[in-house]
Amino acid sequence: MKKEEFLVELEDVLQREEACNESDLLDEYEEWDSLSKMAVMAFFDKNFGVKITLQKLEEVKTVSDLISLAGDNIDD
Amino acid sequence: MISQFKHVKIKGISVVVPQKEINIYDEAEYYDNSIKKIDRMRKMVGFYKRRVVEDDTTASDLAIQAAKQLIQDMNIDINSIDSLVYVNQRPDFKQPATSFYIHNKLGLSSKCSVLDIHHGCPGWMYGLWTASSMIESKSCKRILLLVGDTTSADMDLSNRISAPVFGDGGCATLLEFNESEWNSYFDISTFSDGFEAIMTPAGGTRLPLNIKNIDNDFNKKLLKPIKTKAGHETTLFSGYMDGLAVFDFTINKVPESIKKLMEFAKVTEQDIDKLMLHQANKQIVQAVGQSAGFSLDKVPYDAFENYGNNTMCSIPTNLTYLYTNKMDSKKKFICSGFGNGLAVVSGYLEIDKNIYLSGVKNYKKPADYVSKEEYLEYWIKKLEG
Repeated sequence: MKKEEFLVELEDVLQREEACNESDLLDEYEEWDSLSKMAVMAFFDKNFGVKITLQKLEEVKTVSDLISLAGDNIDD
Repeated sequence: MISQFKHVKIKGISVVVPQKEINIYDEAEYYDNSIKKIDRMRKMVGFYKRRVVEDDTTASDLAIQAAKQLIQDMNIDINSIDSLVYVNQRPDFKQPATSFYIHNKLGLSSKCSVLDIHHGCPGWMYGLWTASSMIESKSCKRILLLVGDTTSADMDLSNRISAPVFGDGGCATLLEFNESEWNSYFDISTFSDGFEAIMTPAGGTRLPLNIKNIDNDFNKKLLKPIKTKAGHETTLFSGYMDGLAVFDFTINKVPESIKKLMEFAKVTEQDIDKLMLHQANKQIVQAVGQSAGFSLDKVPYDAFENYGNNTMCSIPTNLTYLYTNKMDSKKKFICSGFGNGLAVVSGYLEIDKNIYLSGVKNYKKPADYVSKEEYLEYWIKKLEG
């Protein structure tokens, strides 16, 4: 998946109306609640076959950090 | 562990839910009066309608009505019931087991054994496995399995993590010995290191109220509301849930159990009509379904949207909601109940097209209804003589 595609998908996963940017701090999103975290876990599992642990997700600060959790599954 | 049964058939399922319905759109005050926020919740987790008990209705009241309905509609001779199994986590009394009370209310025979099993969300599946073991061993020919829960009764409405999730319900299932081969398979997994993830810590003997001296400091501290990180007030008498940890457990362990079971039963996704999952919420149901390798149209969450997560009743609620009067042929289901314990119980079940399904019926206060106040008076008079 291309990075741009992922950013659009993330907007939908979080049910967010504004665009997501790589440098955005997730904690500053109003939508970054436990529901969104669960939705992100399910999204990674479904699309990349990557199981993110809760601990890993709690360490994530920016959208860019989130992208790096997908490894080779998201490219430029 | 994995079990196989060759002579147990589910003959009927009857489901009862409380009449009172709460619609998430009527709770806008908890979402800054923003319909947009509620729409988001509906889309992401499937919050919509749920049924909750009123007054003093107990889990056993709901289960008893479900049982009466099944006995009447199936024209069952109550003397033919060999055992009554009641799975619950909200007993009516400290002792004896609630199944004695139910046995009496249903007028069952003195030859019928009773058994209470304490389980939560995986309870119906646990009950099916227990009843199947009793039948396969030929100890019993016909078992009435009841389950019931009233989670809403001790839920704080301001707790937006849990309150909109849970509904209440009762269910009766009739299982019988079948002479010819009729297969079912079960996988049970226990992850007790997560026992605190879904829990009501107080009210048992570990954190009891001191009744010898009501006005003491321990009691005051135990009853004093605690302000949670999420911003609502609660006490340890209300259900606690670590949502993220439960989600983590669910999307990892439940698909694992389902895959193991399907391999053992030698079935593939194509052989299965529906994957009937515990109705935890829409998000969990879909994530588990996908991870287990099912296409989403085979993984319904109708019961969650219409009745809420009524814990151990959710799989039979979904089944009766979707299939009453629609059993045109024999169906093959994978069912999986998961939750407090933590535990996963998955089963491969074949359902005969002639099964009795009640539809999801509303609870009605019975003619012999006794209020909490009346029952207290009764006991005071009994003791005073």
